[in-house]
Amino acid sequence: MATLTHRARFSRTTTATLVLALGLGLAACGGGSGSSGGAKEFHVLVYGDAANKVEKRIVATFNKTSDVKAVLDTVPGADYQQKLQTVINTPQAPDVFFNWGGGSIQPFVKADLLLPLDGMVAEEPKLASSFLPSVFDTAKVDGKAYGVPMRGTQPVLLFNNAKVLADAGTQPPGTWAELLDSVKKLKAKGVTPIALGGGDQWPTLMWFEYLYDRVAGPELFKKALAGDKEAWASEDSRKALSMLRELVDAGAFGTNYDSVKFTDGGSPALLATGKAGFELMGSWAFSTQQETSPEFAKNGLGYTAFPTIEGGKGDPANLVGNTNNFYSVLKKTKHADAIADFLKLMYSDEFVKEQLAIGNLPTTTNTAKFLDSADNSAYLKYQFDLVDKAPAFQLSWDQAYLQTNATPMHQAIQQFFNGRLDADGFIKAMQALSTE
Amino acid sequence: MGTGTGTGTGASTGARASQDAGRRPARARRRTRAPATPSSTVARPGVGWALPATLFFGLFALVPLVLVAVLSFASWDGLGAPQFAGTDNWAKLLDDPVMIRSLWLSLLLTVLGVVTQTPLAILLGVWAAGPQRNRAVLSAVFFVPLLLSATAISVLWRALLDPNFGVPAQARWLFGDGNLLGSRDGAIAVLVLVAAWQFTPLHALIYQGAARAVPEVLYQAASIDGAGTVRQFFHITLPQLRNSIITSVILMVVGGLTTFDTVLILTQGGPGTDTTITAFYMYQKAFKGFEFGIGSAIALLLVVVATLISLVVVRMSGYDRMAGTKEGM
Repeated sequence: MATLTHRARFSRTTTATLVLALGLGLAACGGGSGSSGGAKEFHVLVYGDAANKVEKRIVATFNKTSDVKAVLDTVPGADYQQKLQTVINTPQAPDVFFNWGGGSIQPFVKADLLLPLDGMVAEEPKLASSFLPSVFDTAKVDGKAYGVPMRGTQPVLLFNNAKVLADAGTQPPGTWAELLDSVKKLKAKGVTPIALGGGDQWPTLMWFEYLYDRVAGPELFKKALAGDKEAWASEDSRKALSMLRELVDAGAFGTNYDSVKFTDGGSPALLATGKAGFELMGSWAFSTQQETSPEFAKNGLGYTAFPTIEGGKGDPANLVGNTNNFYSVLKKTKHADAIADFLKLMYSDEFVKEQLAIGNLPTTTNTAKFLDSADNSAYLKYQFDLVDKAPAFQLSWDQAYLQTNATPMHQAIQQFFNGRLDADGFIKAMQALSTE
Repeated sequence: MGTGTGTGTGASTGARASQDAGRRPARARRRTRAPATPSSTVARPGVGWALPATLFFGLFALVPLVLVAVLSFASWDGLGAPQFAGTDNWAKLLDDPVMIRSLWLSLLLTVLGVVTQTPLAILLGVWAAGPQRNRAVLSAVFFVPLLLSATAISVLWRALLDPNFGVPAQARWLFGDGNLLGSRDGAIAVLVLVAAWQFTPLHALIYQGAARAVPEVLYQAASIDGAGTVRQFFHITLPQLRNSIITSVILMVVGGLTTFDTVLILTQGGPGTDTTITAFYMYQKAFKGFEFGIGSAIALLLVVVATLISLVVVRMSGYDRMAGTKEGM
């Protein structure tokens, strides 16, 4: 019995020690690992994916000549925004970070965390003039520049399956009327005229973005984004919606589009296997097809700009999509000068060549001279030309608005398409989005 | 109970033991456990043993719960400090049609889950409790879904149900245009089906254990009285499984109300908000919209609703009385 008592007591002490150790361990986890301290280095936080190899190389290039060293931190894609939002106002915040411009940085600007780059640009004008203006402007908030483009541009294009179109006796449409005509002919052939990954919701959004841009011009969305809720109820807005309704009701997307996704390869497969004639998608659809259906990508994949709409106010050369990704700088960084030097590399020849090599199309003015020697140069040139000549390049609505709005926006988009919301319902839903 | 229905499930064995212990005079208990020492605590583990678990529970369950409760009265986007917002979040939620619908949807999915899985699990479990060798092999096969992660299961079913390249494309006569995940009824049906496929094995396992513990003599007596297999099932097996059914249903209710991963991957709450269940709505608000205050309020509401429902189930079933059911055995 004596041993038992002893054991019981011993165990209590052990537990106490253990608990203490556990507590200390947790405290250590919470407190330590601070990184952006006084050392001669700054941290660059980027979205973790295949493009990181270019970012790694650029950082290495920079570090060769700089006293202040850049350190690249990558966060796996799906978690990037959450991670950024949680660290940006803490001592663990990076000095430079990747973003999408527009609404993705607006809350940070509001919280007074970001450094306006106007000072750097005044010292080195090429920091702004080396980029295509339609792209550079995406990262402006209240007229001040907060970002420098750092990857490739992603305009939305109308892709097609050339063979399916030929079989149905039609061709890529130049106008909305021609598109409706193609839809009729493809439907008669028994194929789904337009593949749509409605299950992901954002592919559906692309149709709204182009229709609104072509019918009303880019101003309508700009006004709406600036808080003018009446813009959504305007005549142009209703016209764009009625045209979309007409397209959906004509059976352009079939009936099961909301069960299809782009992200799991559903809608690209429809196009590649000839079960659909068109797909409206970001320029990345090209590399997606190259990966999953190389034969089709090489011989059967066509692409054109979004059709013109007769009588529309928008310039037919306007684009929508993701203009580019950007590097923004935190106000509290101690190495602003070194960072300015680092950002200059984003329009260097090396940067452009490296990006082109992995299929990204940089938006610098010197990109053009490297296009001939790049893989898929025809496709890259076509895209660059579009972006270069675009009077306006509208950032995807769900990126332009604050993050809070993405879900209700996607829901309204999906419900208008499948008929659960009428035009009034859709307008009301869009007016309910917060703009500040 | 006192009606002569006995049971032998693990849960009720434990319950019975504690109840018996309660009935027995304290002195008698002490004598049997520690006859020679004055201190009755000697042979029992000290309070210290519960400390790690208590601390762990406090740190990772209670503290966050309190924080979430506080946060539900604040407005916070993850930047800077939370701002006190009074009852704003709660007022918004009570006014939010999606919130109310999400609760109904969660309940609907839970009820449909119980209704579909329970009969299947009982039949499968009772069948698997039999002695033949092939059953062991087959039941091992049936339990495979239990071993897969919810993510893998969702991705698998998504591919299977692809309207253009999956099963629906091969069986148009059954699936029509295959717009399963893109229509409200279809999406709910798929979620129920996938949950049934995923969780029936777990509950069958519970019933298998319970069915094995039914005393053989009951069946022997019933046979002598001329009862057939079906009668035996309804008059012996099913009543004997009573407590297991309650355990299993409570697990289903809690699991059903907190379903998340399958919705995330299969439907993303869509089409529109047709499958936006409460847990997923919380995720959307807090982690996609960065409205942590509202997200916290939703989470807290879910905790309250789930607790209430669990209490109701426990009350209605008489589980709280821990009634001994062994009499007559």
